[in-house]
Amino acid sequence: MTRREWMAAAAAAGLAPRVRAAAVPSSPVALARCPAYDGGVLTSLRRMFDQIGGIGRLVSGKTVAVKINMTGSLRARTGYRAAWNTRWSHPVVIGAAVHLIGEAGARRIRVVEGSSEDDHPLEEDFLIGGWDPADVLGAASNVEMENTGFLGNGKEYKRLEVAGGGLIYSAFDVNHSYAECDAMVSIAKLKEHELAGLSLTLKNMVGIAPGTVYGDSAGYDQPAARPYGARTMFHIGNRQPPEGTPPEKNPNSPREFGYRVPRIAIDLVRARPVDLAIIDGIETQTGASGAAVDEGVKRQMRLVAPGVLVASRNPVCADAAAAAVMGFDPMAARGRAPFESCDSTLELAEQAGIGTRDLKGIEVLGARIADVRMPFRQG
Amino acid sequence: MPELIPFRWPASWTDAAKLDLLKGTAINCIAGEAPPPFPLGDLPFVKLDADHPPEGIALRDGVWPQVLAPTRKDAAGGGATGGPWVDSNASVVRLAKVMEPGKMVWLTYTPPGGKDVVPMDSFVKPITEAEAFGGHWVIALDAFMAEQVAKREEKALSQWQRMMAGLRFTAARRDRRAWEPVAPLAVASTFAGDDKLLSEEFLNLAPRRHLAYRALRAADVAGASFAKQKAVLYLENTPPEGAVRAKLLEFAQAGGLLIAPLGTVDSPPEERRMEHTVRRAGKGRIAMPLEKWEDPFTLVDQVHVLVSHREDPVQVWNGSDMDLFYVTSPKEDQAVTHLIPYASGSTLPITLSYRKAWRRARVVTLNGATAAQPVQGQLGMEIAVPEFTDYAVVELEA
Repeated sequence: MTRREWMAAAAAAGLAPRVRAAAVPSSPVALARCPAYDGGVLTSLRRMFDQIGGIGRLVSGKTVAVKINMTGSLRARTGYRAAWNTRWSHPVVIGAAVHLIGEAGARRIRVVEGSSEDDHPLEEDFLIGGWDPADVLGAASNVEMENTGFLGNGKEYKRLEVAGGGLIYSAFDVNHSYAECDAMVSIAKLKEHELAGLSLTLKNMVGIAPGTVYGDSAGYDQPAARPYGARTMFHIGNRQPPEGTPPEKNPNSPREFGYRVPRIAIDLVRARPVDLAIIDGIETQTGASGAAVDEGVKRQMRLVAPGVLVASRNPVCADAAAAAVMGFDPMAARGRAPFESCDSTLELAEQAGIGTRDLKGIEVLGARIADVRMPFRQG
Repeated sequence: MPELIPFRWPASWTDAAKLDLLKGTAINCIAGEAPPPFPLGDLPFVKLDADHPPEGIALRDGVWPQVLAPTRKDAAGGGATGGPWVDSNASVVRLAKVMEPGKMVWLTYTPPGGKDVVPMDSFVKPITEAEAFGGHWVIALDAFMAEQVAKREEKALSQWQRMMAGLRFTAARRDRRAWEPVAPLAVASTFAGDDKLLSEEFLNLAPRRHLAYRALRAADVAGASFAKQKAVLYLENTPPEGAVRAKLLEFAQAGGLLIAPLGTVDSPPEERRMEHTVRRAGKGRIAMPLEKWEDPFTLVDQVHVLVSHREDPVQVWNGSDMDLFYVTSPKEDQAVTHLIPYASGSTLPITLSYRKAWRRARVVTLNGATAAQPVQGQLGMEIAVPEFTDYAVVELEA
């Protein structure tokens, strides 16, 4: 009996190592050393997908949405380093994932990201970022891209209800791509985040909320035509979305970002569950957007090359393992790194029943966490 | 006769002894509405009268080049999309050269007055900006700077010398004025009538998205060559007629993208893209707006996508407040990119990516030159430009 089989049997029999781990789902996490954005990425991801049980049943004959991360300005770099190597999902990782999803029989693959600054086709935003989208579009057959920061190719926004009723919002209006897909893949970068502690596959899903509805350009009577600006209403709750869009459940709840952003991330994941989580930790920057802003937080902005990839069918398990790779305790509550100034997204996700964050209940396959750990904090 | 480099005599400089400050500089004429009340020696006086401009000179007002900071967090101190609002003279100079070919362009604006404080170190940019685009700023000091320079105060004098260094720097590179912009897009318009604001603002805002263009008068379209362009935008809301229309359709038929006003052709569209309909025309395409063009900034963005960022001859990162002007020699074996940052202080680390594989590059600032090693990026040859202030030029060799 393998460890994975034992754990599944133990969970079914109520014999899992901890009550917490038995109470919420757990999926194996594959970890791989991958030092560079080259052909080794495809080889590694292929092996990792096998390790987590394969993706054939998940994607075969299905429409698959691949949510990548292209946060922040398209025309900004950290120093001279391209955003692909610092804060965005790298196209080589995206291309490898798309290739394998196609190989596993996906009927259609749509690579999606919501721009916060324009209504361009996503292909154009790739070019602005300095990468030829053909590399991704040609990685499998029937691959397309869509900028989901606005209506895009849809005629109307689609409403996604939050399972369980939601923590902040009960439903979201989103680009049609998120309602049309049968399977959802979240490809994140390995990095910290000043508003959510971690910016991994759970936080990546905040990007499915269109800027035209939830961004600074959103109208009050109706969504804007074009997205622009941050999702400030998510951060500080300064306003409600446009009329006709489901408002917050409780407008008297705390307006503090550290309370809101982690909860909204969880709401979005419960509205559009993540079926496959992939984290690009080959090259990155330690912080998503600048150094620490809060007193007592030792978050730094450094360019690092952990040389690691993470994959799991469960985004909480993937993010928990990735947090450990970054040198953090995924069981940390608010007040402890990386959650000094916000509630723990991992804890909220666990409480919501999405998945366990307890490494004792997560089977890690491939590389050992201890062998690939690269602490993001120094000193 | 040498090219005139104009200086507006400060009102507080009431004696001829101050002429000594101009000795050894590139300044060789005094310009203004009225001459100073004393003899100017060898320096000619040029009267600035927009109704009767000096011979061979096109006068334009211009604006003090700067990034305008928001005054309130929620106020429109930024641009149309919330980005930085840049006051630039790039399009003013470039368009003046198109509208009055063969003339030198002088910008006659003066430093902002009133409550605005003009830092002493901000007088170099107006000079290098105008010179980069092939014109001159009629150099003007505000009252404080004029007083401090006259007193030969150390910091003021140092900035004055830096201004004069800027003039020398650009004077040494005047042969490049004749070099052609590297641009996938030609923008043709009358730049007059009902669409004057639309067309002029399009040129003003194109640099905010780093959309490289070549401007020409609508009247010159029939005789123009578009061999180096991928697209032509006929920027009028009235369809082209006669020889102009024929030339533009010929361009599309041969494989180009013609972006033209509603009603230019009546063939059915094949796709809708960025608020335009697009149809095939021979080997090329014709795009027309769904509705009359009105918002120049939105149009810049739409046109950029219609042409595609793939066609950008040079891309820049960390330069959102910067104008780029990329021109090439007639043989296309050399090129330069003028970099004009509008924010005060030092730039961020800038990366440029060129589609053309230039072999050698160096970055030249007012402080000196440094070799830059082009590195192959995913979409082109990338060059790292060290942080600088006021102005830099990237010199390229094939």
